[in-house]
Amino acid sequence: MNTTVVALEGVSKRYGAVQALDAVDLAVYEGEMLSLLGPSGCGKTTTLNVIAGFVEPEEGRVLLDGDDVTRQPAWRRGLGVVFQSYALFPHMSVADNVAFGLRERGVPRADVAARVREALTLVRLPEAGPLRPSQLSGGMQQRVALARALVIRPRVLLLDEPLAALDRKLREEMRAELKDIQREVGITTVFVTHDQHEALGLSDRVAVMNAGRIEQLGSPREVYEQPATRFVADFIGASTVLEGRVVDARTVVLAGGQRVEVHLPRVLSAGATVRLVVRPERVAVGGGAGGAANVLRARIASVMFLGDHSELRLDLDGGGRLLATVSGPALFQPGDAATISVPPDAFLEVPTTASL
Amino acid sequence: MVALGALFQLSVLTFVPGSLKTGGLTDANFRAVLAPQYLRYIWDTIVLSALTTILTLLASYPVAYALARTPSARVRSLILVLTLAPFFTGAIVRTYAWMLVLGQSFIKWPVKLLFEPEGVLIGLVHFSMPTMILILAAAISHIDPVYERAAASLGARPSRVFLRVTLPLSLPGIVSGSLVVFAWTFSAFPTPELLGGGRVKMIANVVKDLALDSFNWPGSGAFAVVALVVTLLVLAVTSRMLGREAAADGHRPA
Repeated sequence: MNTTVVALEGVSKRYGAVQALDAVDLAVYEGEMLSLLGPSGCGKTTTLNVIAGFVEPEEGRVLLDGDDVTRQPAWRRGLGVVFQSYALFPHMSVADNVAFGLRERGVPRADVAARVREALTLVRLPEAGPLRPSQLSGGMQQRVALARALVIRPRVLLLDEPLAALDRKLREEMRAELKDIQREVGITTVFVTHDQHEALGLSDRVAVMNAGRIEQLGSPREVYEQPATRFVADFIGASTVLEGRVVDARTVVLAGGQRVEVHLPRVLSAGATVRLVVRPERVAVGGGAGGAANVLRARIASVMFLGDHSELRLDLDGGGRLLATVSGPALFQPGDAATISVPPDAFLEVPTTASL
Repeated sequence: MVALGALFQLSVLTFVPGSLKTGGLTDANFRAVLAPQYLRYIWDTIVLSALTTILTLLASYPVAYALARTPSARVRSLILVLTLAPFFTGAIVRTYAWMLVLGQSFIKWPVKLLFEPEGVLIGLVHFSMPTMILILAAAISHIDPVYERAAASLGARPSRVFLRVTLPLSLPGIVSGSLVVFAWTFSAFPTPELLGGGRVKMIANVVKDLALDSFNWPGSGAFAVVALVVTLLVLAVTSRMLGREAAADGHRPA
């Protein structure tokens, strides 16, 4: 039912001593927006460059609609690319930039003008045609770059950190707009970012990458709520990892000595060591969270007021550090003792074998 | 400035044949060097300089492109050493070497090159290439390769990427390299003196002939002043023409 548009099969690429990509497998489905998320140097941009045809992998295959395009140069692939720096040609007007791909394809002159106008209207810049790129703001350049990539009606749209160069407010606006445009055009999109909010907010699926490998591939909710590895748990969302020892199927003694009830999908064997992840927004500080919640004793280590919410660092009695968020300003001072409650289903397990 | 002042002063004094002393003020020297046989040398110099500039540009661009774009450090230093080698040999040694090569003793050329304009042209191009290569390579290496990738992603084959993106973006380097080469070829002396063998003369050779063979110092001064004015005019016109275009295409990455 899901048609695969782009497939990577065992793709490896090495730069000198650095293994940029290590046997990566990936399938991108028709019409979806898939993001490659990870820290710098994780291989996300290399993955994009391999799909685009700018980088040839040493091993593995790249398939486009089932055809092997591994050795095909970028200019034959018919993919749209938006670069982080936009890469608008500075010696051409906006209209000539957008028309570039059409002219290279030998589209008749009259059609070129019409399609350029259509593309600039799509990105809400219908009047920008005669301007030079240097006369546009960053956000406008970004839209022109998007129009230039979309006007050739590419099979796949590739976006390399397209929002990274914008300031925060503009970035949030463009994020919403990008999503609207992508939905309007319905184009299969691969999106590289190091910003988890962008990845979670924009994508249908997220591939979390680390050290040249895909650590987890799933929906934004899956990677957030069921991180497959400790790296994913750490990288996506602020979170705390607590170590503990299993007492019985539903009870774990934390390293600090406090006992908690957990609801984990896996059946735990008594005596085993587990790593538990807790998202900060699931930790209630002060007032009880009611009924079945675990109640733990802790001391406030630090408080950070961030406007709409505050972030607290808590030292659990007996050892272990927990992160918590409360809405609005926090009514605590560092050093205060606090009672916190964590519902049993707030504990997620990550494999103990996964290295950080 | 002092030298220029002395040159100008000399150019307006009367030439007394058979003597290094000069007479009173006159404009006769200028009228003499504006005669057709002298103007021909100025025209020849302009043509030779223009040809040298064009050929140097054509010969240097591929080398400069390779120098700027090769991923291998070893290839880059090899090109750099070969480019700079002529700088270490000095003008006279290099020119005598060309006399040997262009003469008929080592290679039997189908056409005569030595003491012909063609031979002088070869010498001048060789003399100008290192400078042109360095200026062009600097300009090309300032072009962010992301523009070339962008063009390729839009369906441009490598030759089209070069014509529509790389070449226009390297225009500032082409303009400055051409102006430098044109200006210094215009004032070339040892190359036309030795490879031209007295049959091919550029402005500097005529100035020397007037001053040291005819001992007509005021005449040579006048000719030098005329040549200087022509050079400045040509440079002003070309840099204005090319400069406007380069400014319009001036690239500033976002």
